[in-house]
Amino acid sequence: MDKAIVIENLSKMYKNNRGIQDISLEVNRGDIFGFLGPNGAGKTTAMKIMVGLMKPDKGDVRINGYSILDDYENAIRNVGCIIESVIPYPYLTAYENMKICSRYYENINDSRIDECLELVGLLKYKNERIKNYSLGMKQRIGIAMSILSKPQILILDEPLNGLDIEGMVEIRNLILNMSNEYKTTFFISSHLIHDIELTCNKIGILYNGRLLGVDSTDNILKNYSSLENYYLSEVDVNAGS
Amino acid sequence: MQALKAVYINELYKISKKKKVVVSFILTLAAVIIAAIIAFCLNSFAGIRVTGSSEFSLLVLSVLSYTLIPLFTAFICIDMFGGEFVEQTMKLTLTRPASRFKVFTGKVLAAASFIIANLLMVMILSVTASFFINGTSFNILKIILSYVLAFFPIFVFALMVILITNCTKGTTSAFMLSVLVFLLFTGLGIAFPYYKSFLFTSLFDWYKLFLGSYINIYKIIRNFFILCGYCIMLFGLGYYLFEKKDL
Repeated sequence: MDKAIVIENLSKMYKNNRGIQDISLEVNRGDIFGFLGPNGAGKTTAMKIMVGLMKPDKGDVRINGYSILDDYENAIRNVGCIIESVIPYPYLTAYENMKICSRYYENINDSRIDECLELVGLLKYKNERIKNYSLGMKQRIGIAMSILSKPQILILDEPLNGLDIEGMVEIRNLILNMSNEYKTTFFISSHLIHDIELTCNKIGILYNGRLLGVDSTDNILKNYSSLENYYLSEVDVNAGS
Repeated sequence: MQALKAVYINELYKISKKKKVVVSFILTLAAVIIAAIIAFCLNSFAGIRVTGSSEFSLLVLSVLSYTLIPLFTAFICIDMFGGEFVEQTMKLTLTRPASRFKVFTGKVLAAASFIIANLLMVMILSVTASFFINGTSFNILKIILSYVLAFFPIFVFALMVILITNCTKGTTSAFMLSVLVFLLFTGLGIAFPYYKSFLFTSLFDWYKLFLGSYINIYKIIRNFFILCGYCIMLFGLGYYLFEKKDL
């Protein structure tokens, strides 16, 4: 199977002794991988390292075969991401923010910018400054910016944060649509177990900085009545050991 | 190359959209205009010749290259690095296919372009004002050379501010520390005049070496290499810290 993302022995510890330890996992091309864990489990830390915002103490991440540490530009070229909250330049309009992102890629014209803004329902607000946007609108512009270059891989950290119910459903459908139509690989973190269950076909559980297990959603639901039960049993086993 | 170009154009675009920049240009313009009006009034009504035509542009340069231009350059550099880290907008740049070296270089080039634009604007305005002060006879080449040379020490200062910004966590602390370093270097230059030429703040007026009737080539080359040394060291250190910075 073609590997889109390979994480090898990834470790990063903060001064307060929290962080992630020895995380290794592989995500196949076309997978929608859900990274599940409570607040403070280390999901964002792992994802920050995956997109080069942070350097690991140990280990490496390979995206499309390129090391994020040794060949950053090639590794990240086909990746779109949202890490933590989306913070576009507040003094620029949505269009200007998108234009700024587009300059890093070839062949992204204004019609592609409009297309992405339309997909997230922001086209009519494209000339409004971001400082006037609500939290949900900022999240939507973040999603538009992440899909602008038609990336093969999308790394999304809590992508549904700040969205209303309608927005959550729209984004969930967008993810499923991109996965079906373009075979886009997704790496999505969330603490919302229901969303992960509805969207992802493979799930990894991160707890106290350690990866407890990785399995397909189908397998999990064969053995457990719900993803929630699987999560709680994995956490119980880990807490007991 | 595309990544570096993208970073550079984006930085210039962001700079041009900031109110701070517009205000800084207006204040610089106002300073030149006020200086020109004072010189004109003293010249015409009081009979006091403050400067000749050529000297007015150089007088403006000698004042602004020590005051407003480094000040506004510091604002821009702090905004470009510290400001973006604090506001977390830096994520937008750092998660694009551009290595940190290219991001750093693009930002430094944008800061250099800001200094050039500022100097160019002051030069054009002060030369225009010179027409009104003291007729048309002035040495334009001398003025252009002075403004070109004035760029280098201000650029070194910009690199110093960038280094400081990458050492600190907040924008206010970066600004205060930059001012402190500037004052410290200036103070050291006064306290130890023998070592003055090793301090970049004493080279803000190094263009004067080219203006006299006797041109000291040895001193010019030495100062040039000192400025180059500063550039290499500050760029290297600034990049090292920028590269290590986690977001």
